[in-house]
Amino acid sequence: MDIESLIENVANALTAGVTIGCIYGLMCIGLGLIFGIMKVVNFAQGEILMLGMFASLYLVTGGGVLAFLGPYVGPFVGAILAGPIIFVVGALIHKFLISRVSGLKTAGSIDDGHFGQLIVTLGISLILQNGGMIVFGSTPFTVRTPLSSSAIEVGLGIGDASVFLNKAKLIACAVAIVTALALYMTMEFTRIGKALRAAADNPTAATYMGIDVDKYYRMAFGMGCGITAIAGGLMATYLSFGPFVGFDYVIIMYSGVVLGGIGSIMGAFWGGLTVGFVQQFSALILPPQLQNAAIFIVFLLIVLLRPQGLFGRSAERA
Amino acid sequence: MLEISNLSVSYGGLRALTDVSLTVAEGQFVTVVGPNGAGKTTLFKTISGVVKPASGSITFFGKDLLSLSASQRAHLGIAHVPEGRQVFKTLTVRENLEMGAYPAAGQAAWARTLDRIHTLFPILHERAGQMAGTLSGGEQQMVAIGRGLACAPRLLMLDEPSMGLAPAVTDTIFERVQQIHKEDGVTILLVEQRVAEALELSDHGYVLETGHMVLDGNYETLLADDRVRKSYLGLT
Ligand SMILES: Nc1ncnc2c1ncn2[C@@H]1O[C@H](COP(=O)(O)OP(=O)(O)O)[C@@H](O)[C@H]1O
Ligand SMILES: [Mg+2]
Repeated sequence: MDIESLIENVANALTAGVTIGCIYGLMCIGLGLIFGIMKVVNFAQGEILMLGMFASLYLVTGGGVLAFLGPYVGPFVGAILAGPIIFVVGALIHKFLISRVSGLKTAGSIDDGHFGQLIVTLGISLILQNGGMIVFGSTPFTVRTPLSSSAIEVGLGIGDASVFLNKAKLIACAVAIVTALALYMTMEFTRIGKALRAAADNPTAATYMGIDVDKYYRMAFGMGCGITAIAGGLMATYLSFGPFVGFDYVIIMYSGVVLGGIGSIMGAFWGGLTVGFVQQFSALILPPQLQNAAIFIVFLLIVLLRPQGLFGRSAERA
Repeated sequence: MLEISNLSVSYGGLRALTDVSLTVAEGQFVTVVGPNGAGKTTLFKTISGVVKPASGSITFFGKDLLSLSASQRAHLGIAHVPEGRQVFKTLTVRENLEMGAYPAAGQAAWARTLDRIHTLFPILHERAGQMAGTLSGGEQQMVAIGRGLACAPRLLMLDEPSMGLAPAVTDTIFERVQQIHKEDGVTILLVEQRVAEALELSDHGYVLETGHMVLDGNYETLLADDRVRKSYLGLT
């Protein structure tokens, strides 16, 4: 490999890492939010991603209500609207299932409800996978946009070397960053965001303040699902998916959340971004089937060297 | 304003409170004393609603508290400064106070109460942007009390505010509590291990032992009681 094509490959891995990484980051925030606020380990988050993809698909293709927007704008509006739709789905899942094994109900029990949560969320995951199989079928889908096969070429000024920026991924990346920022502002500066953090920090004390902790937990679960669903809708524009697509991504989500520092909601974004980078760079030297292994090697290294995660911080008095 | 009658509370099979009655009138300073494990914290938690009683009644300004959920009770103007402070460690000092002001009454009075909290505890102004978990124990207690004040309470319940604090810091805390009572006219219900100081501040005191209210009266009455003198005040 000559130096020119090496530079070109590295530059392309870098940009692909950033674009895909930001979308992964958004996807991870959803899971991080649920764990960070409610301390619920949600094994069905991959299926929530899958539901986001299908929600967007049904909104924008065929006779979908957003079909009039056309193939350029529609897929991205569909991805964003998948958020509120899956928020409602998540809130309902919480109301009827998750709330029975989490929150104030199980606070202080021997396992804080984690064992129940494991079984319930694994169950939801299986039901959604197999239910998806029945409802959607198994032929791979994609939310088609001409933008996914069109790229902006940026010359690097070294011979013929240039970077190709896939337009669909570029827009998806921008939507992901804006969504993540909006969530960050909500969590940091609004009354709802602060009450969510208070309910996460100390649910009993939050109750003393008059905060309805179970209501906020329901909101957190809905938001976590909605955020991951938006990421799913964005990914649906450039990859093909089916009812079992969640399995591939739940691993990435957990790596991202742990890398970012468990409990740090925005850290999950940086964790997801890191995973995106590792994945794209490993593609330079490793065969595709080893990419997930590369993610795990980096994951294990960081867990060994920095167990609080890359961006975790401690609020305890030193 | 607060009327507790014949309250009994069990944890599983274990009786923590038996037939406890207690009254707090508006404007009063009432103290509950008693040894560790007597059920003082349980009493507070039952008033706040995080522990459910087996029997008895609690009313606040005539309203049946037991028919309300725990989070609804704070909105009536009951502030609970819990044992062990329980500040929101990952929130800043200012955010802790804002969460105290979560009920509508607290929001309406926010600018004025924040000013007042900063006058009482200037350190909370200095440390406004710092995460509460990084403060010292005394400062965290100030955050907890400030957070309680932020809801513009009609009743301020304090569960052992002196726990684990140096004597000098405890003195400050006691002084502030007295100020909150005298200057702001807030009704106080206090649980304390530092019996002598606590009773001296109060209009009325209750003695709770192993879940039973064994004695109550004003400072003079309690001081005249031999058991109180011996067990709690170390006098003869
Ligand atoms: N969550 C709980 N589960 C079981 N028993 C408890 C619990 N909390 C308190 N107790 C018991 O109830 C009794 C009263 O405790 P508590 O109200 O904390 O007393 P105090 O505040 O006066 O020290 C004690 O015997 C204690 O062990
Ligand atoms: Mg106690």
